[in-house]
Amino acid sequence: MKRRLILGSLALSVVAGAGLTLAYVFAGSNVMQGALLAVALGGIGVAVVVWSFTLSGGETEEARHLPATDDGIEDDLRVRESSEAPSRRTFIGMMAAAITSLVVALAAPFRSLDPGPGPELFHTKWSAGARLVDIDGIPVRAGDIDIGGVVTVFPEGYAGDGQSQSLLLRVDPTVYTPPTGRESWAPGGHLVFSKICTHAGCPIGLYEAADQLLLCPCHQSTFEVLEAARPVFGPAPRSLPQLPIAITQDRWLVAQSDFLEPVGPGFWNRDR
Amino acid sequence: MRRLVAISLGVAVLLIAGVPAGADSQTDQGRELFEVHCATCHGEDAKGGDVAPSLVGVGAAMADFQLRTGRMPMADVGVQAVRKPSPFTDEQIRVLVEYVASLGEGPAIPTVNAAAGDVSRGGSIFRTNCAGCHGAAGRGEALSYGRNAPDLYLATPLVLAEAVRTGPSQMPVFDQLTDQDVNDVAAFVMSLQKDPDPGGFGLGRLGPVPEGLVAWLVGLGLLVGAARAIERKSS
Repeated sequence: MKRRLILGSLALSVVAGAGLTLAYVFAGSNVMQGALLAVALGGIGVAVVVWSFTLSGGETEEARHLPATDDGIEDDLRVRESSEAPSRRTFIGMMAAAITSLVVALAAPFRSLDPGPGPELFHTKWSAGARLVDIDGIPVRAGDIDIGGVVTVFPEGYAGDGQSQSLLLRVDPTVYTPPTGRESWAPGGHLVFSKICTHAGCPIGLYEAADQLLLCPCHQSTFEVLEAARPVFGPAPRSLPQLPIAITQDRWLVAQSDFLEPVGPGFWNRDR
Repeated sequence: MRRLVAISLGVAVLLIAGVPAGADSQTDQGRELFEVHCATCHGEDAKGGDVAPSLVGVGAAMADFQLRTGRMPMADVGVQAVRKPSPFTDEQIRVLVEYVASLGEGPAIPTVNAAAGDVSRGGSIFRTNCAGCHGAAGRGEALSYGRNAPDLYLATPLVLAEAVRTGPSQMPVFDQLTDQDVNDVAAFVMSLQKDPDPGGFGLGRLGPVPEGLVAWLVGLGLLVGAARAIERKSS
């Protein structure tokens, strides 16, 4: 009886596990998937509990008797095993089948994971020679903004593109010492930084011109404009990426290239 | 002899008192006021001091902004100058501005006409350029190190245009805005100032969420209290 119950519930669990996999793959209802999961887990549970009773002999009352000999105990166990429990080999085999079936069912949702972020997080719409335009798509000329001025700029043709949004600031070129390697990035004191905070991706709209600070309104990350937008306060972990720009013969401001590092907050494969 | 000295002294006093009065120009009046009210910090020659910047070349617009809004003279050297009633009359402000403007070339006082502005277009320009710091409702925002971008509820079109053109304190200069853009922004800010608060209390114009919260907590609380009172009375 117990033997039949153990093997039956394990078999039911195998079937329910396989059914759960199929139900997930063919998008069965949530209720059905839940019921199948309950049966698959419950089958294993029932089998384990009933099997444990076969080991202990169940809750029976035994008459007090003299200590049996070793032979006597072995005889006793052998008799009980043969009469109530499935063979050890059968039990382990069925249990392995039930657990495998359940694990396969639980692994099925991995099918639903999206493909990785791909290259778009690493690049923006900026490219060599792209003119800087404002939100209305109007190109910006060198000298359009005064020292101490600020305007949000995009690459021409992509006005309003979130990933490419950048701040064009103009600082006094006589007080600005470009960091090493960036000497040609800011002609005439025109500095362009990504507008996306490196902490949580908020647009950095607050430019404190007198102290040359950029402040993110979300968590008060503060960036030192004159020191390559290094974070000096708040949770931002990295400097704002700077866009190298140039001035054409027609006085247009253009990008020298895309940003040299990914803009915005970190992501899992950013540094690979 | 003594009489002669007295007479010549009297003549001298008359001359000293009389010469400035006679050759008085507005710039001189401005300089006098400057020496009394401003020179302690900005220096006798307005070239700046330990606590205050040079005023050479800041221009009339900046001086007018700072004086008209009462930010200058500062009551205390704090993190930033705050708006307060100006101790000067309009005439005194005018001569002071003229004196500062005479120190060096700088932006002149702009002309602005809010009545000629388009409120809707001004709103769009405001949200692009101003709302980052001053907030979409113009109520101001905190900046770094204890500073703040002030609310705009007391700003006049002239003061607003001066701020846009000169970038006082931490504010950037918005030279890319045309005069018409500034008119539009002024019209929009004036419309913000006229926004009614039908409930009598604007709650800092934080929007519908805090308004709803107050309505729920206060309104429901009053209703529950009233219901309890009625129940107690009837039993």
